[in-house]
Amino acid sequence: MKVCYALVGALLASAAFIGTASAADLIAVITPSHDNPFFKAEAEGAEARAKALGYDVISLVHDDDANKQSQLFDTAIARGAKAIVLDNAGADATVAAVKKAKDAGIPSFLIDREINASGIALAQIVSNNYQGAQLGGQEFVKLMGEKGAFVELVGKESDTNAGVRSKGYHDVIDEYPDLKMVARQSANWDQTEAYSKMETILQANPGIKGVISGNDTMAMGAEAALVAAGRKDVIVVGFDGSNDVRDSILKGGIKATVLQPAYREAQLAVEQADAFIKTKAAPKTEKQLMDCVLINGANAAKLETFELKP
Amino acid sequence: MRWVGCAMALSLGILLAACRFIPTDQVSAIGAAGGTNGAAARDPDQMVASMWAAKVVPYFEKRAGPFLAVRDLAAKSPDEAGAKWGYRAKSEDTPWTLMVRIEGTIVAAETESRAGSIGVDASGRGKVDATVQIGPAMGGAAIRDALDFVSFGDFTNQIDFARFGKAFNTYVYHNTLEKLPRADIVGRKVTLIGAYALDSSGQPPLVTPVEITIGPKP
Repeated sequence: MKVCYALVGALLASAAFIGTASAADLIAVITPSHDNPFFKAEAEGAEARAKALGYDVISLVHDDDANKQSQLFDTAIARGAKAIVLDNAGADATVAAVKKAKDAGIPSFLIDREINASGIALAQIVSNNYQGAQLGGQEFVKLMGEKGAFVELVGKESDTNAGVRSKGYHDVIDEYPDLKMVARQSANWDQTEAYSKMETILQANPGIKGVISGNDTMAMGAEAALVAAGRKDVIVVGFDGSNDVRDSILKGGIKATVLQPAYREAQLAVEQADAFIKTKAAPKTEKQLMDCVLINGANAAKLETFELKP
Repeated sequence: MRWVGCAMALSLGILLAACRFIPTDQVSAIGAAGGTNGAAARDPDQMVASMWAAKVVPYFEKRAGPFLAVRDLAAKSPDEAGAKWGYRAKSEDTPWTLMVRIEGTIVAAETESRAGSIGVDASGRGKVDATVQIGPAMGGAAIRDALDFVSFGDFTNQIDFARFGKAFNTYVYHNTLEKLPRADIVGRKVTLIGAYALDSSGQPPLVTPVEITIGPKP
């Protein structure tokens, strides 16, 4: 019965759209806040591809709040979206929302972050964060000369990728007993928070030689704090492949980052949604891993908006 | 000393793990087990130990191609080389992982770094054609990624999948690489079967060995 109501709702919603200028199908794009350029690039990638394929798009942000995300799913369902492209607000908390959409006949195509369930979303296209973190970790070890005191800045606890990257870093770094972690703190992916945390950490641990960060915005914050303290000698490595960090690498600031193919992932999700809407063909595999690429002085110049140009 | 203790603890762990009884249907069901449950049966070291001799080694012996032929075809036509001697999960942009047999001479050795490696001349030019990881620190998951009977979709999340990938490196280190000679190895013959992920770096491939033998001093 629930399904019937949802169908009626969807019909009413689409009927309401007939009167408007565009009768195109709607794709909902739901991501974390666009304050972080990574999520902005992702949302823009999805939006651009969807529009090119002739869809209307609503782009919404959940601010990493699972309750808000649930409301946004209600909105997408009520508006009669044909598909949802989602970068989610929590690996466990999101399962119910995606299931709600599925029960209403709306498929979800996940990007960037996984959920801890399969068979509910039609696609989970995620960066191989672990592989990327290993690349970043190996570069960090090399830059550090396999020894010295370092700090780890961790991302938001609710984000599964914070844990995956930290694990990837440690699986590499912990094999070097002369590399000593003197502090490990979350700065919640946030630049300002990373700045103030780095200031405090530096006061307590003036002997540090390196900082490995779970993402680029935190790396930018840490780098700024180090520069302000006159510590340009400290090695900083980030993760994401943002234009900000690219510029810092080119100026000799941050030493390396790891590019996630975010723009491409978002586009791919839309292409798979389009195939499903038009032909009912689901992607061959739900869980799709895309490899990350190490960015350092050698290739930073080729990086633009989360894509490596040829 | 710290490392020796650590290695002993790890070897002991493997010995203990090896003593546990694992039904074979459970082992072969790795591809069929659901993604969200079965945690008890999914200790990655145990999974690797139980499939190594029965499935992994025979698979590599069957699939691995002569290194120079693989490398040269991969340079011209990655998809052809991959179909013949490699594997990749079927999503877009995944690089091929290629399986190779290498016979050659050790012409370089990095044994100071914990990311130990040897440079192998396989063509007789006196230059490094392939870099082979010998640990103890080892990167990547080339062994896991070469296996056509293992899929990311069978794991709850990236961390579980990653642990499984790392368990292969740990296994081959403690059962094979740890016992290799480290001193005076340049100039010696080496034969191995292993895997590497194809990349466009232009550097000699970084091979993770599955089986390796270093010959006596010449």
